[in-house]
Amino acid sequence: MKKFVSVLAVLLLVCFVLTVFVACKKEEADTLVIYNWADYIFNEGQMEKEFKSYYKAMTGKDVEITYVTFDTNETMLTRLTKGDSNVDVVCPSEYAIQKLIEMDMLVPLHYFDEEKYVKDFTKNVDSSVYVHNADNVEQGIRDKVGETFGNIEITADNSKNKGKQVSMLDYFVPYMYGTLGILYNKFEFERLGIYDSETLNKANWGILFNDNGEGEVLSDGLTGNILMKDSIRDSYAATVFYLLESGGLDELKNSDGKFYTEMSASELINEVDDNLLELVKDALKDQKRQLFGYEVDFGKDDLLSGNAMVDLAWSGDAMYAVEESWDDEREDYELAYYLPHSTGNIWFDGWVVPTTYDPDHWDAIKLFINYLNRPNVAAKNLLEIGYTAAIKPQVLLDDENAMRILAEGYEYDPDDPDEMAEFTDYFFHYEDEIDLSNWRYPFESAEINSDNYRNIDSLGVMRDFGNKNHDVVTAWNYARSAGVSALPMLGWTALAVVVVVGLVCLIIWLKRLKSHNVRLR
Amino acid sequence: MKRKFRFRLTRRAFAYPYMIFLLLFVVVPLVIILINAFLDENSKLTFANFVEFFSDAGGGLTVLGNSLIIGLVTTLICLVIGYPCAYFLAKYHASSRVFVLMFILPMWVNFLIRTLSTKAIFMALNVKLGMGTVMFGMVYNYLPYMILPLHTTLVSIDHSYIEAAEDLGADKMAVFLKTILPLSLPGIVSGITMTFIPAISTFAISEILSGSKIFLFGDAINMHFSKTTNSFGVGSVMSLVMLVLVVVANVIVNLTSKDEEATSVL
Repeated sequence: MKKFVSVLAVLLLVCFVLTVFVACKKEEADTLVIYNWADYIFNEGQMEKEFKSYYKAMTGKDVEITYVTFDTNETMLTRLTKGDSNVDVVCPSEYAIQKLIEMDMLVPLHYFDEEKYVKDFTKNVDSSVYVHNADNVEQGIRDKVGETFGNIEITADNSKNKGKQVSMLDYFVPYMYGTLGILYNKFEFERLGIYDSETLNKANWGILFNDNGEGEVLSDGLTGNILMKDSIRDSYAATVFYLLESGGLDELKNSDGKFYTEMSASELINEVDDNLLELVKDALKDQKRQLFGYEVDFGKDDLLSGNAMVDLAWSGDAMYAVEESWDDEREDYELAYYLPHSTGNIWFDGWVVPTTYDPDHWDAIKLFINYLNRPNVAAKNLLEIGYTAAIKPQVLLDDENAMRILAEGYEYDPDDPDEMAEFTDYFFHYEDEIDLSNWRYPFESAEINSDNYRNIDSLGVMRDFGNKNHDVVTAWNYARSAGVSALPMLGWTALAVVVVVGLVCLIIWLKRLKSHNVRLR
Repeated sequence: MKRKFRFRLTRRAFAYPYMIFLLLFVVVPLVIILINAFLDENSKLTFANFVEFFSDAGGGLTVLGNSLIIGLVTTLICLVIGYPCAYFLAKYHASSRVFVLMFILPMWVNFLIRTLSTKAIFMALNVKLGMGTVMFGMVYNYLPYMILPLHTTLVSIDHSYIEAAEDLGADKMAVFLKTILPLSLPGIVSGITMTFIPAISTFAISEILSGSKIFLFGDAINMHFSKTTNSFGVGSVMSLVMLVLVVVANVIVNLTSKDEEATSVL
């Protein structure tokens, strides 16, 4: 009987799980399949509800949303290229979009080309239905993308567009952007006596290598307390910048005879030649002595618990970590973010439509992209994700609703004009005392404050490694595995085993001897 | 004369679902790995992946060496600690139920949670993460896999053998060396297999307990698949190497074990 009950219980469990799967079948309403980064939109359930009512208001129809997530660009690329997934909108990073365009896997949106946009986007629906939100997008992003990704050649062998040069601007709508910088524990830096603008601005990326900018150790306290991101691209960029400012590239030329020191930030991080790769490899190998480890997911916790003091981080993650690090006792944030002055990396994520999309979902796709570019939605995303939404700050400032959401998120009273003014000043003109710039809005801060010696050109956009990808992976593999050998471990264990076995033998021998003597007597 | 296929609900039919499952999720993926190992980025036939791995261009062989050594050391330590433990647990079998439970209990908790807690303890004690902490974590995680087969074998040894040995004048040491140890050999062999094989392919434990500074073979394979898009080939070669190692380990263990039933655990 007991057995029967337990078998029944297991069967019930299996049935339950199966029903859950089966229950997820399609409804008759319009549908949209969204493929986004995990934790990369404000409250998913609420977003779905809001978008549904927005969609209903615009088209009079219902929409069903399937929301799928990925955690690296690589998993996303693999799924799109090798799998048979049919998703409608995807949100990859700029270099992944470049790869998708090269493989001719994206549908042009012409979002920034008014004429084509109207023609393509409003093929079958009255154009007045659509809120045209492309103008809301930050101009600086469009300039940067046009500069770096203006001419992408479609290289897919099986494509009829092979050899065609296209601009990424025709394929994506920017969603979020941010910079690559250094997240550090301010309290620890104060303790070590290196928390001042002059020291940090001299060290720049050297902070990650415990180098004060002149080839000397920044602080002995940092040794063994530095985290490096377990990401090939970001580590590569940071290392190249470090090499540049520490003089490691002085008087060196690339294969075309151009000096590395004369290149712009963008040119330099996209120059992946063998010389540079060799230098990066060695620098990363040497850095290992200074490291606490390579950060995968636990960077923030390690910084807060004091296990590590420095981490290579993206601005949004850093922002999130900083805001979580409020210390009641000292009435200050324990963590801080530093965007090195010399050079840096700026990146973008945006929405694209893969060629495998379902044409029946076209309306929903268009409206979803438009929806995300609404100021109040952008404000919610800004609060939730921590990265900068790709909407012009002026658009947010002009939208009362969006400002309300932001102010409430930062615990200011939106009904009090004084508090609102204070909040606006804090959020949009915020200036970091160490790096003297507003790292939430790098484009604006470069314009407003010209003597912060941050030139927007010093932030480079990174392309895909292309055919050098393999070499970079090999170099990274090499740097990661170098310097650690398990051989001494084997030696010590062998010694320990020999000692133990020897002791046991000795005891046995002594016992035998004793019993032998007994017998003799 | 065509023989029609008719589905009959025999006892054998109940095995089909699992057979199909095995085919789909074990055999097919293995074939895909095998094919991928011979393909380059553009899906053309190549041997370059093998050349790249075996020429140690990306330090792959060094990583493999490290993994093997760590696996070996873990197994050795587990055996040295596990055997006496299993021995005494078996000896006081009746009263040791609770102790056996204490060894199994941690296995019910997810190993990631256990490892993260281990890290937290080390951090609280101000222990520097490195090879030592990784070894600790490995031994801690795989010790039950060593103790359980040993315990099972030791418990099932017929006590009359031991009594007979004692009757024939063997002292305690001789009873152990000449009777118990040889009879528990199957347990030792299956314990070693069950520890060594997962130990050489581990990567989560080493990642967490060394702050990712110790890069093992599992990490290397993981990197080729999840951190890049066009080096599946080399990753597949590495997976195949891993598979060959596991098979070789099994064969060696089977050969050295006199009792073939011993490895039936696997």
